[in-house]
Amino acid sequence: MGQALNRGAHPLAWLAPVILVLGAIYLWPLLDAIRLAFTDATLLNGVRSYTLSSVTSTLGDPALPQILRATAIFTGASVILLQSLGLAIALLVTRGDRRGLPGMAALRTLVLAAWIVPGVANGLIWQIMFSEAPFGGLNSVIGMIGLGPVAWLSDPQMAMVSAVVANIWQGTAFSMILYYAALRGLDPSLDEAARVDGATSLDRFIFITMPQLKGAMLAGTILVTIQTLNTFDSIIALTGGGPGRATEVLALFTYNTVFRSFDLAGGAVLALLLVAISLALAAVYALLLRQRT
Amino acid sequence: MRGGRPADIATYLALMLVAAFFVGPLLWLVSLALRTSAEVYRGAAAFIPDHPTLANFRQILNDPAFAIYLWNGVKLSVLGAALAVICAAPAAYAFSRLSFRGRGAGLWLILAVQMISPLVILIPLYRYYDWLGLLENHMAVVAVYGAIGIPLTVWLLRAGFHRIPVEIEEAARLDGYSRLETMVLVTLPLAAPSLAAAFVLNVVMNWGQFLVPFILLSSDPKWPISVAIYRFAGSTNASTTQLLAAACLVALVPAIVVFLALQRLLTRALTGGALKG
Repeated sequence: MGQALNRGAHPLAWLAPVILVLGAIYLWPLLDAIRLAFTDATLLNGVRSYTLSSVTSTLGDPALPQILRATAIFTGASVILLQSLGLAIALLVTRGDRRGLPGMAALRTLVLAAWIVPGVANGLIWQIMFSEAPFGGLNSVIGMIGLGPVAWLSDPQMAMVSAVVANIWQGTAFSMILYYAALRGLDPSLDEAARVDGATSLDRFIFITMPQLKGAMLAGTILVTIQTLNTFDSIIALTGGGPGRATEVLALFTYNTVFRSFDLAGGAVLALLLVAISLALAAVYALLLRQRT
Repeated sequence: MRGGRPADIATYLALMLVAAFFVGPLLWLVSLALRTSAEVYRGAAAFIPDHPTLANFRQILNDPAFAIYLWNGVKLSVLGAALAVICAAPAAYAFSRLSFRGRGAGLWLILAVQMISPLVILIPLYRYYDWLGLLENHMAVVAVYGAIGIPLTVWLLRAGFHRIPVEIEEAARLDGYSRLETMVLVTLPLAAPSLAAAFVLNVVMNWGQFLVPFILLSSDPKWPISVAIYRFAGSTNASTTQLLAAACLVALVPAIVVFLALQRLLTRALTGGALKG
């Protein structure tokens, strides 16, 4: 740290703006969401009475298991694939940097550009890519080599694959940056010593590089999981949750419950479920971090 | 160095695949945006259109409604970013320079806010704003953008303040400056690069915001570009795909241009913030 700490200096004045804004926009609404979950509120006629029935009926909704399943598949597949891809790109680019190969910075920039694309635009771009009309990018490319057409968005299982691909396209950059920064911070002398001892590059990766990347891997996985869990923009633009309910993840289901079915209490219950899952993941991360240090 | 020429070639081949995946959709979008509606139907065969045209961009950019959407996007993004930085700077300074009980806990609490999906707070907020008559109000949306941006901004700026040697401030204090004077006259100018990076990052993130304006703004002339292209997509059909492609490019090019122009600043702030603290 090495900071001169001023004991007794009162922080409240410095923190006031943040406390005010976060209190009004986050804390108060969050408390209200908890209250609303235990009411019979609808978007149209507010709170009439306090009851547990919305909690039980929402959590007992026969549609919920399928929604949670879709959420788990979407989140799990996205996180595993984009973390792997992010690590692979970071390793390749780091190797390229070391060999002085040209074009590495350009490639990093390209991956980052996809990350900057607004989520809605991401959904629309991939909708055009996966489109089964003649202008669908993927089908018209594979059609040229005599394959397809693939029902990217009209088949329930393919639609999930498509949603995951679109999410990987946007989310990989974040993992790549984390791993790239972690790899640059590694001490090369260990790797060097192992090489002198005759370890193969695969051995060196598994026994020397990987253990040193654990921290970045853990941080990245948790952050990416929470981000993916709350993905809304790209899915609503790409599939709208369809076909049927094949890609309706929890965030989208929550939105539909409140703003389409006007069920405010039910939506509040689902929103809290979303928060609970996120905070549980964050708590796991904090515990693991504490163990490491 | 390990490996050799064959390994270099393998590295390039793998990276070419990666590049194709990331650049492909954007190139396809550009290809469609440059076509006439007749050429759209030729699919990949017309990847480089026979008769490329800028008519789609002309139509989008000449539409007065689109100019309003772009302006709304800029206005909300910039004001939201300003709010986040103005609120976060003093807090980040306190977390970096003052010693008080609960400092660590407070920092983690602010980060925990990041874990909460905006969707959760929007449900009650929608009702408040409705009561207060603030639905359709840009300033009410800016407040939410600011709140969403605060956690990351506090962490980034705290890392930025940490990089400034505390001795400089101590010297100013010895010269009789108050803490506030020291911060405004000495620390903030030194922290200008971090402040700029945090501000730009917030602008770019706000530019991509969809859920907040989608829920809080229902009247067409109030929409930022992100909501507008979503609504526009809902009204397009196969014969206007080239227009949708052009509209998507108009929506994402500003963000990418700003990002490229300031990439060095941003990645330094991001990786610096991620690895310190």
